[in-house]
Amino acid sequence: MSLQDRSTVIAHHPVVTIKLASTLDELMQCFALRAAVFMGEQACPYFEEFDGNDHAASHIIMYVDDEPAGTMRLRWFQSFCKLERCVVLRRYRGLGVHHEINAWAKRFAQRKGYTKVYVHLQKRHLAMMEKEGFRRVDDRIFKFSDHEYYAVYCDLEPMNSAIRLETDPMVVNRPEDRLDEQGILERSAVREATNPHAPHVERLRN
Amino acid sequence: MSTATQSIDGEIVSIRLAMRMEDSMQAFAVRAACFVGELDVPYSEEFDGHDFGATHVIAYVGEEPAGTVRLRWFQSFAMPERLCVIQRFRGHNIGHLLLERCRKLAESRGCNMLYTQALPTEVKYWEKQGWRRLVAADPLAAPKRIVAMVRAVDPNKPLPEIESPEAIVLHPEPQFDASDRPLERV
Repeated sequence: MSLQDRSTVIAHHPVVTIKLASTLDELMQCFALRAAVFMGEQACPYFEEFDGNDHAASHIIMYVDDEPAGTMRLRWFQSFCKLERCVVLRRYRGLGVHHEINAWAKRFAQRKGYTKVYVHLQKRHLAMMEKEGFRRVDDRIFKFSDHEYYAVYCDLEPMNSAIRLETDPMVVNRPEDRLDEQGILERSAVREATNPHAPHVERLRN
Repeated sequence: MSTATQSIDGEIVSIRLAMRMEDSMQAFAVRAACFVGELDVPYSEEFDGHDFGATHVIAYVGEEPAGTVRLRWFQSFAMPERLCVIQRFRGHNIGHLLLERCRKLAESRGCNMLYTQALPTEVKYWEKQGWRRLVAADPLAAPKRIVAMVRAVDPNKPLPEIESPEAIVLHPEPQFDASDRPLERV
């Protein structure tokens, strides 16, 4: 790369991409970003950061110019979606990109039919999140992992295109962050339904 | 494999090799905390594509992952790299324990040389651990130039003469990005 090429790369407007982590590599990126920020910057112990809920959650990965830059974990309850473990890597802070992660997560929850997102918010972030429409659930203050938290929530508009029982079943099968694009299972429908099943095989004895 | 060697605040320090996915994940989390979080190394440089052809050695304080080193294997040497210890566990010689496990592992495989690439600011640390520069310090070299360092696996058997040390210094494995394309050399 010539010197001139490099300067154009540095000068151009950063490209932000947000998607659902859907491969092990992308999950690994989410985990590494959380380790960087929570373990590296906030001295959080490993087993508090990776608390056993990571394999029961959806993970969002954000790239700035193709480099992993931020992440958020979403857990699904009956009446709300819980947004948690949101981080932006230090070198990407100050661009306001966390607003884009929040907005993406809200739209994602709306599309799945949720009308409420819920957050355990570090006290210092309250003013910022109030601007995004979050309100405190009540006046409880609680603490874990060396920080004080408020419970806050934000109401979301019901979305017409939200997934419901009547939604086309093949739309429900699509990758959840690309519900408007044809998915791989729809493309599989060009094959005949031959109902293949491997025959039962007796295990050979040694 | 586990060797209890010392304790920190009553918690046993043990050094283990990553055997399960969860162990590797802990090694990666410790590296992300130290290199990406503290030192601001970009993710794609830290996780460079060599992690699945290497041995990961992890230090635990109690059950908490506290430090790690990655060991890559070559025919003529073993290469410990990405050595790091979580900030609050530093000052307890955990780095030494990790490198010592690397040395013993190399010994058990019949390897007689350890090789690493250190930042100039880290050279003193490696020298304290029994390492030496592969090539004598060049006062004219750029101050941030990576320093190739070596150590004999068995301190009683001096290293064989290295015929063309520069060949080792100048030929890293090809680097690939996540989609297997060779990374452009900048």
